Order: sequence, then structure tokens, then C-alpha cells
Amino acid sequence: MEFLLENILNLVGFAVGLVIGIFAYIGYQNTGSPVLFRLTLAFFAISIGFGVIWSGYMINTFYLDEDSINRGIQALGLGIQTIGYFFIAFSHTIKSFFPKSRYFRSIGMLPLFFLSIMNIEHIIRSFSFILLVYGAIETFVSFFEGKQKAALAVGTGLSLLAFGEFIAWYSLIFPESSLYSISIIIKIAGLISLFIPVSKLPLRKIKLDDDFEDDT
Amino acid sequence: MGIYRTQIEIVGDILDVTQNNTLDNDGASVTHIIRRANVSHGRVSKILKNLVSQGLLEQVNYDRMNKYKISMPGREFLQAYKTFSNFVDDFGLTI
Repeated sequence: MEFLLENILNLVGFAVGLVIGIFAYIGYQNTGSPVLFRLTLAFFAISIGFGVIWSGYMINTFYLDEDSINRGIQALGLGIQTIGYFFIAFSHTIKSFFPKSRYFRSIGMLPLFFLSIMNIEHIIRSFSFILLVYGAIETFVSFFEGKQKAALAVGTGLSLLAFGEFIAWYSLIFPESSLYSISIIIKIAGLISLFIPVSKLPLRKIKLDDDFEDDT
Repeated sequence: MGIYRTQIEIVGDILDVTQNNTLDNDGASVTHIIRRANVSHGRVSKILKNLVSQGLLEQVNYDRMNKYKISMPGREFLQAYKTFSNFVDDFGLTI
């Protein structure tokens, strides 16, 4: 049952990421904005990442007749998702996230050293977590600056994705628990929260000619 | 240090200025656009020419002056631009 639930949730993650990616792509086509292009890449990568993990489960279930996913495919899917989180996080310019104090910087690096001795899946999850936390903080900062109320939904979405990654990492310590399924549910909730502002986008394409883009 | 506007932001500002003037009277003059959209004189004529050729603006003669009115496609583009701009703002970013 848990195996089936994980499959369904990964498929939902794939679909939600794909829809958001398509919305962002329409925005990019309308405006030619590089920011929207990066968001397009981000959400397509997240969608593909979920899709790869889902495919891994399907292949193992129907062709290999195994109960668990191949760890290599799992790591590949997570790695692709991390690329998506990277594009979200680094669409922001680095402003206030990294502390100025040398002491706090050294403390902040500790989790990386703790995680680096574990396997590659742990490392990928830790990178995803860090990137998502960074993106969430920057978005919340933007919200508190009063730019957009919908930034709260985006910040919450990124926070939920980060929390989901953390729970997923924690589930590796307790593999028999339902923590992994809970983590996927949290991540889906995060994607839905991200979808709220995206759902306002129009679907019409308006294109400026090439000369215009080059000359202005 | 000042924040530079992107190309699309400049276009959005120009369309916004022309829309505001189209509602009240017969279009915005070049001087008015330069002042309100904060674009240099050397640059604005080229942008306006492009926007007219794209059908986003209409050039009209009013009181022996060249003025610019926003067209229906221009209004739709401006609405789409504002929506996408808000969407990007939601991520704490600038379009």
C-alpha cells in the first residue's frame, strides 16, 4: 500500500511541476524574461525529477518485480529535482542569507560535513534542502518588504518542499517508518502552494520581433 | 547604486503611460512619454517606432502634434506583462 501511495504521489508531483513549468514557459514566451526562463527550467527539472522516480517505481514493479526502487534511479531523480531547486534559489541575488560572522559561517557549514560521509542520496537531499531553505528565506524577505502577498504562498511552498526533503532524509534513518510517504505528501503540498500564484497567468502568447529585442 | 530596468520593464512603462493618457485625451506626446516613462530622447523614438510597427501603439496627429495611443493588442500585452511581472514578484524576483 505504501509502495502504491509513493507511486501516486510521485506522479502527482510530476504533473504539478509540469503544469507550473508550462505556465512559466508561457510567461517566458510572452515577455522573453530570463527570470521566467529560469523558473521554467526549475519547474521542468522538478517535474522530470519526480517523473524519473515514478518511472523507477513503475519499472521495478512491472518489469523487475521488486518492491523497492533502484537506488541509482532514485538518486538520479533527486539530482534532477535539485537542479530545479538550484534555479529557484539562484534566481535570487545573494543578499542577506549568509551570515557575516566567521563563527556563524563555520557553524552553518557543519551539516555539510556531517552529511558528506553518507551516501550520494543523502548529499543530494542535503543540497536540495539548503537550496530550498535559501529560496524560501529570500522569498519571505521579499514578502516582508511588502512586494506581493502571494509571495507568502511561494515562500510557504518552498518551505514545505524543504521540510519534505528534510523528512525524506530523516526517513533513511528509519526506513521502516512512513516518513518517506509523509515527506512526499509535504512536498506535494509545497508544489500546490507554489501553484497558487502561477495559476493566475494568462495563456495567450504575444511576441515581440527580434529587431525590437535587439535594439532596445 | 541605481537599479537598471530591463527592456521589458521599459516597454511596460511606456505602454502604461500611453494607456493612462489614452483614457483621458487623445494620446501621449513624446515629451510626456520621455518624462513619465523616464526614457532618454535618443532611445524613445526607436522604441516607439517598434511599438507602432508591432501594433501595440497607434500614432495619431492631434493638434499638429504626433501623439501615441495604446491599441487593443497593446492593452492586452500590458495586462499580460503586469500579470507576469506580479508572478515573478511573487517569487521575490524582478521580471
